[in-house]
Amino acid sequence: MLTKLAARNVKRQIGNYLIYFITVSLTVALMFAINNVIFEEQLLARANNNDELKTALIAITVIVSLIVAFVLGYATSFMLKLRKREFGTYLTLGMTRGNILSLFLLESLMLCVVALGVGIALGLAFYQGVMAMVTNIMDIEYSFAAYSARGLLLTIGLVAGIFALSCVTSALYLKRVSIFKLLHADKKSEKGVRFPALWLAVALVSFVAIAVSIVMMHSGVSDGIKNNGANGGNIMIVVATLMFALAVIFFHIGLSKSVVNLMLHSEKYKSRGTNAFTLRKLSGKLSANSVLAGALAFLLAFAIIGANMSFTQQISSENILENDYPFDISAELDCEAPSVPFDTARAEIEKHAPIESVTEYGVYESGNSYMHGFTKWTGAHFEGLNDSFMTVSDFNALYGQKGFTPLADDGYTVISFDDYVTPSLFEDAPLELGGKTYSCIGTVKCPLLGYYFFIVVVPDECAQFLTRELNGYAVTLATSRYDATALRDALSYERETGFGTYRACDYSMREYARLSMNASNAVFIVSALYLAFVFVFLAMAILALKTLSGISDDKAGYETLFRLGADRREQSRTLFRQTFAFFFLPFFVPLLMSIPAGFICHSVMNLAGLSVAAGKVIWAAAGIALTITAVYCLYFAVTYLIAKRNLVVG
Amino acid sequence: MDKILELNNVTKLYGSGSVITRALDGISFAVEKGEFVAIMGASGSGKSTLLNVISTIDRVSSGEILLDGQNLCACAERELSAFRRDKLGFIFQDYNLLDALTVEENIVLPLNLMRKPLDYTRRELTRVATALGIESELKKFPYELSGGQRQRTACARALITEPSVILADEPTGALDSKNSKLLMSTFELMNGSLGATILMVTHDAEVGSYAGRVLFLKDGKLFSEAVRGGRTRKEMYAEIISVTTALGGCNCVD
Repeated sequence: MLTKLAARNVKRQIGNYLIYFITVSLTVALMFAINNVIFEEQLLARANNNDELKTALIAITVIVSLIVAFVLGYATSFMLKLRKREFGTYLTLGMTRGNILSLFLLESLMLCVVALGVGIALGLAFYQGVMAMVTNIMDIEYSFAAYSARGLLLTIGLVAGIFALSCVTSALYLKRVSIFKLLHADKKSEKGVRFPALWLAVALVSFVAIAVSIVMMHSGVSDGIKNNGANGGNIMIVVATLMFALAVIFFHIGLSKSVVNLMLHSEKYKSRGTNAFTLRKLSGKLSANSVLAGALAFLLAFAIIGANMSFTQQISSENILENDYPFDISAELDCEAPSVPFDTARAEIEKHAPIESVTEYGVYESGNSYMHGFTKWTGAHFEGLNDSFMTVSDFNALYGQKGFTPLADDGYTVISFDDYVTPSLFEDAPLELGGKTYSCIGTVKCPLLGYYFFIVVVPDECAQFLTRELNGYAVTLATSRYDATALRDALSYERETGFGTYRACDYSMREYARLSMNASNAVFIVSALYLAFVFVFLAMAILALKTLSGISDDKAGYETLFRLGADRREQSRTLFRQTFAFFFLPFFVPLLMSIPAGFICHSVMNLAGLSVAAGKVIWAAAGIALTITAVYCLYFAVTYLIAKRNLVVG
Repeated sequence: MDKILELNNVTKLYGSGSVITRALDGISFAVEKGEFVAIMGASGSGKSTLLNVISTIDRVSSGEILLDGQNLCACAERELSAFRRDKLGFIFQDYNLLDALTVEENIVLPLNLMRKPLDYTRRELTRVATALGIESELKKFPYELSGGQRQRTACARALITEPSVILADEPTGALDSKNSKLLMSTFELMNGSLGATILMVTHDAEVGSYAGRVLFLKDGKLFSEAVRGGRTRKEMYAEIISVTTALGGCNCVD
């Protein structure tokens, strides 16, 4: 009997349940896709921090499930309240609270099972989409990705958990609520907010705080890049983030409690058509939901910023690769006892990719840190550092291939990748070698092939007065794509440390770095987008359900408007403005955040010396904003049309 | 006198096939400008259907309804909205005030829908609020008012556009006897001093006795008519009771 009634109710209530159904289905689809990524061993094996990534992904999916459970619990209680008169009538007719709870849960279960099915069906396609994106980011060929049974089970388990948690919310509500409350829905109207001007001031101050936090964030990030995290750049980023979060929340609370209430003071505006009706309805709704609007705006802002950052990470890493790995393979080996001698390595390399050229060079030491003494890399923290040297002819042979101008040999030149290194540092730094004194003739910014702050390039004649410590090799291959993982494995050796033994490799391979970086980036982007879209779906669902749960209260109002002569068009316009303002208030500022987010990411790219790729970041920001807006508009359209069908008369 | 509202052979059928209910069966009558007419009848006699078709909320199956000479049955939906807004005033049993709006905002809503200038709206608001004695309640919300005050607010809203006809559907249905009498005095004031034409549906013989003319409906047809003329309200009440007895009801025609 209950099953029959539940099935009929689901059919009858399908309009109201549509938003709930869409949200559950889309969230399940995303969850299923991510859970399959978690168990896609081949993908994670490519990332060099495989275990951490897997743990991070599982943690993200569990956290997301908890958030989804909370929101769906909230949504379920909304659905309950939407039908409280109906349940009140059941109770009056003699049904027990247990019967009603079973009935409601049965309805929710039916919906959840169908949504799970639809979600998994959608997820099958989503997963291929995610894998296509991942393989594209990883620059590997896309092939149909196999589904994981463990991924499916995890999804079903999480959805069951979410359902159980949301059941608890409904059970608690039904256990406590009185029949009177169910039958006599609260008809109280919200009175106007007190001190709207004060709330406007809060909104304005918060807006300024948002602007200040963005400037601070930009400055913190810039400092971080310029000084490698020194000078408090990171602290400034943390402070700016906290300030931004609070400012976004308070801006929306202030705005919700002020603008509409202040507009109500304009007699002229109020006297036009249904403006007074729209403003009063909005005033009550926005004031009652001001904290919610702030919280949603916060979630959406971080969803948008997070998505922007993830794409910036990918774009920047593509370019970082070019700077960090100027040659296909490079190595600087100990002259006395190389771990894997170059001749052995050459034979291994040729097994994987043909060698086009090998440039050999030497790295020399003077045995002291005289040159470091003219820089910031001196003092207590930098004890034991020795100056490193290279000859002019080695530099010209090595860097000439990368388009650098040949250096002169009438003095020494300091090469470094750090902008801090300028000729002025070495103005008063005469270098004495073999009885001759050399002065600094310039500095060059270029990537270094080892771990140095800088290298001093000296005339060839100086080499005899220095000790050759390392033999350097820069290999250019005829092809850039090869099995770098296998090659790295072949060139690795066991290294003993105080903490144990691990596999080390002294050969630096661009292709291997690219694959590792891409795999990490792919997982990072997928996680950021996953979080972003789940936040967007949930925010939309809450707004939609809040709107739809008010339908029964609004019905009499629209009926009266109709009788007083408001035609369909006027009613539709009124409803549109009412719904639009409620929906877009928490969305507008986060959407605008795409501009500073894109700007900061663009600026970061420029500061990191990646100006060529900086333009791509702006496109990524625009793409994210457009996609999120499209999802938003979809939810808004569905909500508006359901509300219109229920409210507009005539 | 001028005929303001005229119904000619109005029929309203519900249902389809073999299950057809004749809610209104060839009703014809006219209301003149400044008249106060009550419609009475037992439950299911067609009172509310009659009010719904006159208020253009429902369509007739046949016949015509003329208001100010305009045939409402030939109007498009958009014209009907404008017609309701400009020519009709409504007073309902459950007031139909908008809870979210203040008393003042509720009263001026029809003028706002007509896009009247603010100065005009303010003038009219003062006029009706003063006439109905609710000037001090204007800034309150409906839930802060008593039932009688709410119904006076609904009257003010119906009056403010100076409509051709005010349609009242069981206006005393939610009021106690004291507030019912007060409301009827308000109706007399609206009809007498402010010149409003009122068409009221009621089941209460005492309330009906305030009207200048009472039309009795039975099974969707016009059964009888009582005109007050120069008689007292008590005499009118007595006639209503005798007609309702003939209709088969008690003093309460429901």
